Amino acid sequence: MVIGVPRCLFYYRYQTLIRSFFNELDIEYVISDPSNKKILEDGKKIAPDEACFSLKMFLGHVKNLEGKCDYIFIPRIESVKLDEKVCTNFYLLYDLVNNLFDIKILDFNIDEQKRKTEKSAFIQLGLFLGFSYNRVITAYNHAKEKEKKVKNNNILKQTCILNNNCKKVLVAGHPYNIYDEFIGKPLIDTLKKNNIEIVYSDIYDTKNIEEESSIISEEVYWTFNKEILGAIGKYKDNVDGIILVSAFPCGPDSLINELVIRKIKDIPILNIILDEANSDTGLVTRLESFIDIINKESAYE
Amino acid sequence: MGNKKAYLGIDIGSISTKGVIIDENNNIICSSYLWTKGVPIQAVKNLLKELKKNLPDGYIVVSCGTTGSARRLIGIMTGASVIKNEITAHAIGTSSIYKDVKTIFEIGGQDSKIILIDNGIVTDYAMNTICAAGTGAFLSSQAKRLEIDVQDFGRIALTSKNPTKIAARCTVFAESDLVHKAQIGHKKEDIIAGLCYSVVNNYLNNVAKGKKIKPPIVFQGGVSKNIGVVKAFCDVTGEDIITDPNGHLMGALGVAILSKKEKEEVFDFNVLDLDFETKGYECKRCPNHCEIIAIKKDKKIIDTWGNRCERGAII
Repeated sequence: MVIGVPRCLFYYRYQTLIRSFFNELDIEYVISDPSNKKILEDGKKIAPDEACFSLKMFLGHVKNLEGKCDYIFIPRIESVKLDEKVCTNFYLLYDLVNNLFDIKILDFNIDEQKRKTEKSAFIQLGLFLGFSYNRVITAYNHAKEKEKKVKNNNILKQTCILNNNCKKVLVAGHPYNIYDEFIGKPLIDTLKKNNIEIVYSDIYDTKNIEEESSIISEEVYWTFNKEILGAIGKYKDNVDGIILVSAFPCGPDSLINELVIRKIKDIPILNIILDEANSDTGLVTRLESFIDIINKESAYE
Repeated sequence: MGNKKAYLGIDIGSISTKGVIIDENNNIICSSYLWTKGVPIQAVKNLLKELKKNLPDGYIVVSCGTTGSARRLIGIMTGASVIKNEITAHAIGTSSIYKDVKTIFEIGGQDSKIILIDNGIVTDYAMNTICAAGTGAFLSSQAKRLEIDVQDFGRIALTSKNPTKIAARCTVFAESDLVHKAQIGHKKEDIIAGLCYSVVNNYLNNVAKGKKIKPPIVFQGGVSKNIGVVKAFCDVTGEDIITDPNGHLMGALGVAILSKKEKEEVFDFNVLDLDFETKGYECKRCPNHCEIIAIKKDKKIIDTWGNRCERGAII
């Protein structure tokens, strides 16, 4: 049996956990190809009109997995923290795919409000796949350790960059946009080409999130956006600029990014909205101008 | 041939192509302005011809810079020593003339921007994002609808005593609102003045949203030639708005100034008469199907761009 995992949306948040969990249980899995134009075009054809760029891409990834797997792994995520929500897309994915595709989907449901935790979701998944409770719980614990290790490692690497003397930019946005080969990669590549070091908003320890995000707003109930705000609060004094990256049209981002722009005045901020009709030319002009601002005097020599 | 050094700056925009030649003290010694008409290479050829003709005796161009949306294409072809984005170029050009400028409003054919400057250095900027409402294209399409020449627009607007309020959030809605206002009996000059105000309000509420606008303010771009819009900006911001007869040349001036710091080499005005060829094609090496542009000089590829990955790089 092969399980297909779309390389989109939740994937970038849970990739270490998902991969390690399946590896621990010796389950064969396939991850869809990195995003490309064909995947996007396929997604656009089947997506509802109002879907955001990222969701269109996601549906393309599901399409990409058709015929390559027996089951497809599409979590239904409603809330990952008490009293907080995630973007609606994350809890409609399951039903959306179920309606649009003739494909078998694995049950996986995280809803902290109803005490359906990440752990219980993985346990249920393991049991459904025919493994014993003990084996599943061990696999989950090992996967969780691995996730922690990777995370700490990334934070350590990022701390080195933050302590570095080079020009740094905090790229703040959802990991499924920033790390996507088609959505965020041209932006990241342009920054690197211009010798700008990148600090990522998702490489962030949420330990002090309440305090760090409250610099911008004390009450944000979208967990994913709150984490971005936390990262901005934590890193803003150690970077030369902030680039807010969002995919069109994103409800939570449009509100939250506006808040950031209004509240943070002491550091250059660039708001980049990516959509599927974008050419890289406009993006490059905006980024180059922003880099000139960051490099200040040296750009004029 | 002379011995006084001069520097060339070319700004190739989507609508118009601008060129200036400056002396060592940043004075414009000649300039040219013509339509791009979708063929940047030909436009620049014509531009260079004109500049060469108008260049006073005794000067020799030793460096060249390009800016504008075709900056890379033309920069490679002319062997420019500096290729710079238009925001930085405009800021440098403008602050060379208005030393203490703090804010630049720019409304062009298809885009609009605001640039905030402190001590000659850009500190912040914003550009219109997904929508082109309230740019030159909007005004010229409305002028057409009202059957007046876009060049008379400003003059007519100034005759209005009571500008009509027109919703300008979106070009489509503005147009239907405009028709509605005309049908219920608003005067033509009031509607025209109303359009000028709607451009300004749209600009201040979208592009300039949340930006601290500090005087002196310089207003540039094609729309700055419209005195109706200039007046509307004065009224709404309550500040003096500076427009410059050379406002359209600021980007070109900026890169010309930047090119002064680069390596000097005598510029050949006939450079574009060489056998250049550009070719756009779709790379089929992966599912991305990138649109790649290749420039050939004497049948040999000298540069390509547009590829998202190494697979598309053919040099």
